[in-house]
Amino acid sequence: MTRRAALVALTLPVLPRVGLGAVLLALAVLAGVIVGETALPLRLVGDVLAVKLWGAERALDPIDAGILWSYRLPRTLVAAACGAGLALSGVVLQALVRNALADPYLLGVSAGAGAGAVSVALLGIGGGAIGLSAGAFGGATAAFVLVALLARAAGGGPAQLVLAGIAGSQLFNALTSFLIAKSANAEQARGLMFWLLGNLSGVRWPDVTMALPVVGAGFLVCLAHVRPLDAFSFGSGAAAALGIAVRRVQLVLIAAVTLMTATLVSLVGSIGFVGLVIPHAVRLLVGPRHARLVPASALAGAIFLIAADIASRVLIPGQVVPIGVVTALVGAPGFALILIRNRRRA
Amino acid sequence: MPFPLSSALRGAVLLAAPLFCAFPALAQTEYPLHLSNCGVDLTFDAAPVRTVTVGQAATEILYALDLGDRVLGTSVWFSAVLPQFETVNAGVPRLADNDPSFESVVALRPDLVAVQYEWHIGPQGSVGTRDQFADLGIPTYTLPSDCEGKDNSVGSDGTRLAPYSIESLYQGIDELARIFDVPERGAALLDDLRAREEAAIDAARALDLGDASAVFWFSSAEMDIDPYVAGQGGAPAYMMEALGLRNIIDSNEEWPVVGWETIARANPTVIVLARMDRRRFEADDVERKLDFLRTDPVASQMDAVRHNRIVVLDAHGMDPSIRNIDALETLSAALAGLDLQ
Amino acid sequence: MKIEARDLGWRNIVRGVSCEIRPGETFGLIGPNGSGKSTLLKLLAGLMPRAAGEVRLDDVPLGQLTRRQVAQRIAMVEQFADTGEALSVRDAVELGRTPWLSPLSPFGPEDTRIVDEALAAVDMTGMTKRPWSTLSGGERQRIHIARALAQQPRALILDEPTNHLDIHHQLALLGLVAALPVTVVMALHDLNQAMMCDRLGVMSEGRMVACGAPSDVLTPDTLGRIFRVRAMPMTDPEDGSTLFRFLPMEEPR
Repeated sequence: MTRRAALVALTLPVLPRVGLGAVLLALAVLAGVIVGETALPLRLVGDVLAVKLWGAERALDPIDAGILWSYRLPRTLVAAACGAGLALSGVVLQALVRNALADPYLLGVSAGAGAGAVSVALLGIGGGAIGLSAGAFGGATAAFVLVALLARAAGGGPAQLVLAGIAGSQLFNALTSFLIAKSANAEQARGLMFWLLGNLSGVRWPDVTMALPVVGAGFLVCLAHVRPLDAFSFGSGAAAALGIAVRRVQLVLIAAVTLMTATLVSLVGSIGFVGLVIPHAVRLLVGPRHARLVPASALAGAIFLIAADIASRVLIPGQVVPIGVVTALVGAPGFALILIRNRRRA
Repeated sequence: MPFPLSSALRGAVLLAAPLFCAFPALAQTEYPLHLSNCGVDLTFDAAPVRTVTVGQAATEILYALDLGDRVLGTSVWFSAVLPQFETVNAGVPRLADNDPSFESVVALRPDLVAVQYEWHIGPQGSVGTRDQFADLGIPTYTLPSDCEGKDNSVGSDGTRLAPYSIESLYQGIDELARIFDVPERGAALLDDLRAREEAAIDAARALDLGDASAVFWFSSAEMDIDPYVAGQGGAPAYMMEALGLRNIIDSNEEWPVVGWETIARANPTVIVLARMDRRRFEADDVERKLDFLRTDPVASQMDAVRHNRIVVLDAHGMDPSIRNIDALETLSAALAGLDLQ
Repeated sequence: MKIEARDLGWRNIVRGVSCEIRPGETFGLIGPNGSGKSTLLKLLAGLMPRAAGEVRLDDVPLGQLTRRQVAQRIAMVEQFADTGEALSVRDAVELGRTPWLSPLSPFGPEDTRIVDEALAAVDMTGMTKRPWSTLSGGERQRIHIARALAQQPRALILDEPTNHLDIHHQLALLGLVAALPVTVVMALHDLNQAMMCDRLGVMSEGRMVACGAPSDVLTPDTLGRIFRVRAMPMTDPEDGSTLFRFLPMEEPR
């Protein structure tokens, strides 16, 4: 079989599914663009896309068009990237550390981001020139490096990584609490909590150009490692026996996951639940093999977070509910249903 | 008709006024004075002489009543003291820029603690509860502007049950003047504030604003994120109402978070920005707020931005305080200079 | 495939083991608990970090091969390998194809055939859809063997493969392994089963103290010294093969 024939054999059977996924994602993005705090006519979507993408001449209300193109579209795209990235991170970490409770924030990234953002806001680091995002990214990276060093010093196995992650998270969460208790008033604490719980309202096109490439690259890295991830099913020893370069694969995947999570946390705060539960839900639907689990989780995470973002905008009229609250409120019962259904079927 | 004197100069005139007042219009306070303050009954046997203030608004009211010599310590500062009080303030120790500790307040053996916000001294006060102070025989007086029509047990900043009324500020001035046995100074201060309020309102009403609307942008946790804007509850809502501007924000909270999408769609006639010394969020800087308005693809399309109808006000003037009147005057004068037709 | 160990060591668990396992032979590794059998097997498969000494596969030093190349030559079945994933029997066996697959050579019909054969070899053909969690210990063991077979290795390394198996499947497995055209190295506990190997290595306190044909190695003297049992050789009247009956060592008084 030639390479070309192999490629055709590889792609042909999955094409319909890829197509279906693309259609579902496109519909979700469309819904994310149409539904929001204020009503926009569906016709406007076509008009704005025609003007922006093909340079067509249409008379558009600048505010309506701006809301659609500059606020909602980037916001929805980042929500999709964020959902996909968090779900992928969950899949990868659950496989690597063989722990069902592993989530993207396992390695201290979220706690570090929180401490970094709070340091910037409360200690005045950067004198207002550095935004919370930059502080969050710095904190996330610092926390991860600390956790990785600690895990390495403790022996470097998956159990050590989990424990080091817990220790690191506790340390950075305590730092955050200390800073807030020391110097914040109620209004600031509210502002920071609002931000830490996840917030997509500040998303603009520059965030899209950060989030999409990072998550896209992370997705490709995960996709290229579906077999190694499968091989970890029976532990890293078994993976090595199956020809997996365990250290290198762990390093590449954890680096990819950390970069994705740190970027996403710094852009939109730490949105919980997605990375923990989407992989489990998708596993129940498509099985444990990563060739299906990786793309299906990315798709499900993307659609789920777009839906959660829509809900966060319309749940209480005139007010935005933190998206992290919505993901848990909507996601937990949904996951319960999947669990129950799966038990009946088994 | 705009009044030519600057508010600072008028403040100085006001302070001098009682000294020249040969015939006190009001009787002396009779002690013991009984007072109901924010749900607590207070009794004063004599005018306090050792006062500690928790909250800049309370401090500045005492300074305005020329009671700086009876203040032993101040705390919770949001911005620099008003210029007319710089001299007197320089002679008063500052316990803390933010929350003072309970013991640092008590250590001064005050016979009154004057409080701006219940979140500092109140049922869940970060400094202490009023009972804790009462147990030590220290009375606490809370400005009515933070409890009249307000439930501080709900929401992180409390929730206003009724819109903020400037009368609650005037009530606080009146009560403090009586507590300190300076009723004539209180009356003079109130007369001046009421006169200035009326003048500012008349000036704005004369502009025939029609259906003009406004939004007050305080700050944002992140530059592009949904901003904190004035709701229907607080001092900005009072100012808009008084000057005949429609607040585009419906929320009953004092400072709700509202999306730019909603603000842009409402397309307010005027945008008011808060200027503050605080630099905790990028958007605390008024220049950054202006940058955002001019560069954001949607916000820059609002009529107020395109026609440069942007007014900058002192942030502390947006909290219940005597600065409300300064802010009201500034806004009223600024409206006169805008092309609103 | 020929497997050569030269002065292999790992900490104090395995010390200075040298031996040569010939192409196609079934090599049994015996020894008391904690004698270093499992560690030696992992060393032979190149799965222990920072090992002393050298392993050569058909005269090629193992260190010069990538993990993938090693896995194309050697399949390993460890003890106690378990998973929390809801893998099916077929999923688990398909994992054996991992070293042969890449993004450009995906799982194809040939791989399906190999997996089917491996399942048939361990008598699991009818159970391919069963989830892992519903399998008994013996069934899991057979799946591990099938997975190793699907790897199509030139050498099979098995750590106590007859564990958990009922007597029928024990004998079936040993028969299957003996009939395979590949080199087999396995640790065994049952000394009578060890008699079926071509050659045996005896481990004691990390060293290989004897190596040779079963009849040469399994002498009452060795068994007494190493395993601390009294072994009574008996002859099966049917085919003349030697069996042992084990009795407790008489304590010297």
